[in-house]
Amino acid sequence: MSSATGSAAGSTSEIATTVNGAAYRGSVANRTTLAAYLRDELGLKGTKVSCELQVCGVCSVLVDGRPVSSCTYLAADIDGRTVETVEGLATGERMHELQRAFVRNFALQCGFCTPGFLMMSKALLERNPDPTEDEIREYLDGNICRCTGYQPIIAAVLEAAAELRGVGVD
Amino acid sequence: MLPEFTLSRPADIDEVLRELNADVVPYAGGTELLLAMKMGLLVPSGLVDLKRIPALREISASESAIVIGAGATHDEVARHELIQAHAPLLVQVEQNVGNARVRSQGTIGGNLCFAEPRSDLLALLAAFDATVLLRSVRGDRTLAMAEFVLGPYWTDRAEDELLVSVAIPRPCPTGAYVKLQVTERPTVGVAAVRTAAGRCRVVVGSVTEVPLVVAGASWDDIDADGIVAQVEPVSDIAGSAEYKKHITGVYVRRAVALARDGAV
Repeated sequence: MSSATGSAAGSTSEIATTVNGAAYRGSVANRTTLAAYLRDELGLKGTKVSCELQVCGVCSVLVDGRPVSSCTYLAADIDGRTVETVEGLATGERMHELQRAFVRNFALQCGFCTPGFLMMSKALLERNPDPTEDEIREYLDGNICRCTGYQPIIAAVLEAAAELRGVGVD
Repeated sequence: MLPEFTLSRPADIDEVLRELNADVVPYAGGTELLLAMKMGLLVPSGLVDLKRIPALREISASESAIVIGAGATHDEVARHELIQAHAPLLVQVEQNVGNARVRSQGTIGGNLCFAEPRSDLLALLAAFDATVLLRSVRGDRTLAMAEFVLGPYWTDRAEDELLVSVAIPRPCPTGAYVKLQVTERPTVGVAAVRTAAGRCRVVVGSVTEVPLVVAGASWDDIDADGIVAQVEPVSDIAGSAEYKKHITGVYVRRAVALARDGAV
């Protein structure tokens, strides 16, 4: 049965999803990208959009824990799935280990690419809690930063990984 | 902005086959299709989502072949224990396709069906003597890679056919794959493998419209200069035709040198 999307003959789909722990239900146009849904429907403007070609990485979010380019991912496809964005990283007033490590290491300047780097780094550390510097470079090579020169970002991810493993600096 | 389209989510392959036609197309990772739609290059009236059909993501091994469901993502292929055990060269290549997001969204079947010439998999799977299984309500067809990929962005898949799986004959050849890649797609990629029958095979991809296959009884039979003379690259943002010819020779020699030393 082609029932899941509700209106196989139309141009909208019904979705029930969880974004940053909150449940949402409603109708989306099939052509709405996940980035547009997050920013325009849910008001979660932390996720940025730039190249729209899956090359720059600023729109990176996690769907069921896997990193995706939300500029090239249909909002209809999050039906039944769980989405994490940069807004979901902090716990109340307490920033995530990655966020604090980025701040300590000056791993951001203008900040435009930062949500994407944070979400990609989270995806990496969830599958590999103790990555080498080379593994971090490889995993983040699809994210572009025009300010930092990348070194502080690598340092921040290494530091956050250590902290999350319980061998951290503070 | 994407154009309007219908979206269906069939539960099984048979249902997919009943829906496919010239205007209603298979949709998996979207890493190629959605980009082409955004640019207005493809304007299907409907997409048939394959992502929720478990049978299309299965990876299995028989005595004679490793079979990879067309809907398996690059990341799923790279991390699967059967692939790691029997086709380590495929693991290495899949770990370096696109970027981490493309690998978690994009599928092996989508990569093959789009037939973008700058594809690592087109070259590697040709080196592996892989076959593809196409299915429609009219029946099944099994094609060799060279029969399937007819030209740039052009395969033999009919509009009502679905690419179901890719089969790699066992034992899977061993060897090396090297590529030059400075943008998001390779400029040249070369596979050099020794087949189960002991033949040496080199496949040059990305720099050509379709992969170029050269074979010999020993590595000394692989004539890098002869291969360079056969490729006809086009000048583009990744380099001039002359430059691409030069690096083709360099990467053929590198791949052969690695394969000669017995790398994965």
